[in-house]
Amino acid sequence: MSARYVVHRLLQSLLVMLGVTVVVFYALHLGGDPAALMLPPEASFEEIAAFRHAMGFDRPLWVQYIDYLSRLMQGDFGVSLRFQRPVLELIVERLPATLLLALAALSWSTLLGFFLGVVAALRPGSAIDFFARCIALMGQALPVFWLGLVLILLFSLHWRLLPTGGYGELRHLILPAVALGAYYMSAVTRLVRDSLIDALGQDYVRTARAKGLSEWRVIRRHALRNALIPVVTVQAMEFAALLGGALITEVIFSWPGIGRLAVQAIQNRDLPLVQVIVLFAAAVFVLVNLLVDLLYALLNPRIRL
Amino acid sequence: MHSPFGWIRWLAFCLPIALVSVPDHARASELTIAQATAPAALDPGFLREAATLVDNVFDTLVMRDDQMRLVPGLATEWRVVDEQTWEFELRPGVKFHNGEPFDAEAVKFTFDRILDPAANAPTISYVRTISEVEIVDADTVRFHTTGADPLLPSRLSRYPAYIVPPGYLREVGEQEFASAPVGTGPYRVAEFVRDDHLTMVANPDYWRGAPQVERVVWRPIPEATARVAALLSGEVQLAESIPADLAQLIESNPELRLDRVENGGLTLYLGLKSDEPPLDDPRVREALSLAIDRQAVVSRLLRGFATVHGSQASPLDHGYLELPAPGYDPERARELLAEAGYGDGFEIRMQAPRRYNASAEVGQYLAQAFGQIGVKVSLEIPEWSVYTQQVPAGSQAPIYMLGWGSTQTLDADAALYPILRSGEPYSTVRDAELDQLLDRSRQMLDEQQRVELLAAVQQRVVDQRLLLTLYQEDSLYGVANGVRFEGRADARIPLFDLGFDR
Repeated sequence: MSARYVVHRLLQSLLVMLGVTVVVFYALHLGGDPAALMLPPEASFEEIAAFRHAMGFDRPLWVQYIDYLSRLMQGDFGVSLRFQRPVLELIVERLPATLLLALAALSWSTLLGFFLGVVAALRPGSAIDFFARCIALMGQALPVFWLGLVLILLFSLHWRLLPTGGYGELRHLILPAVALGAYYMSAVTRLVRDSLIDALGQDYVRTARAKGLSEWRVIRRHALRNALIPVVTVQAMEFAALLGGALITEVIFSWPGIGRLAVQAIQNRDLPLVQVIVLFAAAVFVLVNLLVDLLYALLNPRIRL
Repeated sequence: MHSPFGWIRWLAFCLPIALVSVPDHARASELTIAQATAPAALDPGFLREAATLVDNVFDTLVMRDDQMRLVPGLATEWRVVDEQTWEFELRPGVKFHNGEPFDAEAVKFTFDRILDPAANAPTISYVRTISEVEIVDADTVRFHTTGADPLLPSRLSRYPAYIVPPGYLREVGEQEFASAPVGTGPYRVAEFVRDDHLTMVANPDYWRGAPQVERVVWRPIPEATARVAALLSGEVQLAESIPADLAQLIESNPELRLDRVENGGLTLYLGLKSDEPPLDDPRVREALSLAIDRQAVVSRLLRGFATVHGSQASPLDHGYLELPAPGYDPERARELLAEAGYGDGFEIRMQAPRRYNASAEVGQYLAQAFGQIGVKVSLEIPEWSVYTQQVPAGSQAPIYMLGWGSTQTLDADAALYPILRSGEPYSTVRDAELDQLLDRSRQMLDEQQRVELLAAVQQRVVDQRLLLTLYQEDSLYGVANGVRFEGRADARIPLFDLGFDR
């Protein structure tokens, strides 16, 4: 891996982030400014205009953008209009909850998905394969808002085993993690199944079998290891995406994470907050993408630029 | 060799352990309340949300009892000195939670802080008639107003008029105050974890006596189904903002009751851009009104949890005029359209946001009902945060649905003026005669004459069909049996009045 490749990818990432700031800023501001929404309905036009001026919403859009960008560069991310607190503080405050939910959802879904995928791939066309594929199909087909509510109805209302929402203890984590992870579990199952079936048909597996290795050893040492690469990539990307917050899951289960913060910010047209949440989500995604690419180049000498 | 199934046995063993912990039930003097929205900050002067929480931490000079009458709060009595001056006697011996005394200086400080133009207080419009607060002595203050303001005592009964402690605020600053507020009210804020919960504990030294419930936990549960589920599972004992379509779940549960505050919600109406054709013709507006079967909407789409009134004001508002409910007569509507020269109907845009109870469905019904008299409606269901910018900017559709109420003033003025006076951000009405009536009502100190002016306003709106009132929603609460609570018309949840039936 050449230094030129690393620099090239870094510059690319910076460019993407700059593009994100432009798109986010203009998309939000073209819809109008939040002055009227932030004042009570009894406010007069004069009061709205005075407020708009005080907040600087009456300047040309490009002036506001340059101003915004230069403040970003200096590490000033702005103050939330609704919370009246620095937006970075608000995001950092909610990061642990989002991180915990993302980790919990992805770990169970990876484990179970991997298991189902392997089992299905070993006996393609069998009853077990059919069963695994059914589960995978369901997990991907059931929308999370529906699954989440059904879980609440069953586990909180019917059996009274788990709370309907909240944060702080293990029992609060289970339902949202299950609801959120279902989709990823399905994705992993299908991915593992397909890439394992693919790997089992490769020459190196035939060679390994010809060497007289046991079937389990062939699968574990040769086929599975190669089938793992796409799974790791996909899950790393999903993890990056989830750090931006799981919007629907967090709202349904009253989970105090970034996703719920984002929904509130959008509803209240809290522009500084929405901007930084989107920027943050994009930055994490770009960063993880960059790391995965660099790791690839390191692990697989065939990938070169 | 390890079996690949080994971890399943391990998981099968662990799972039941995780599941056995059961939600703990509320202690006898603890209560958990589910709200639809999460509080952002608790500074009553700079609120951007309902005052439900701060209402229990702070007091106002004037309060409302459960019959919505204005009664003494931190002020023991008040009187009109002259047309632009009110005098208030303050309650002696009251202390803030931190021991700071409540006095005239605290009152002046509270209002000066909001009225300071540099502070950009979002709540300033509620107190903009106040020009100055003057300290007469430690227990007496005078409010000077810019003109005659008959509504001053009512203004002083709601946010942002909650009295704050000057010493504490100067010491900790506004940002800290917003997360750890100190007031004179029945409860202190013990813990505030944003987006998760807010815990209040009773203030034993409260000037009205010690509250009955020791600890109250407020939990924001934005998803309505999850909020009702938390109530059904016993995690919370009181939940506000129950949507009409989930009310059945509470009614059919023997451990819960549905508390219905008739006329406690917003009054929904169709705003009309009545200065643009074809809506500039009163016959067209009347035809649209006659095309709507309001009773059917209420009984079928809102499951009966709403009431049809003739007036845009609420029966609970001071100054309400009782008018016959608008009629339903599609035949007559078609005739009126033909008279107005629209025998073949016309095409028009309408917006109905998904904000109120079944409001998008009501919008669909309305579009269909207008279609039956020949008015072809292209219906939009706008996203709320976009819609609330379009309306004050005047870029909404010619027919647009909004919900309005007198909020906490319970005076017809607040229900009418902002949506009817020309030039107000939320008004698309341009009617000189109406403007005159509204302006005079705001200057009138004589209560009898003011009520008459407000009645004339309501009559004119209906005569001219300046907007089309649809119905007023009820507000619904879910309450666990054993909890003493009654929903109020002003939507407050005063914890001081709450208790347990034994």
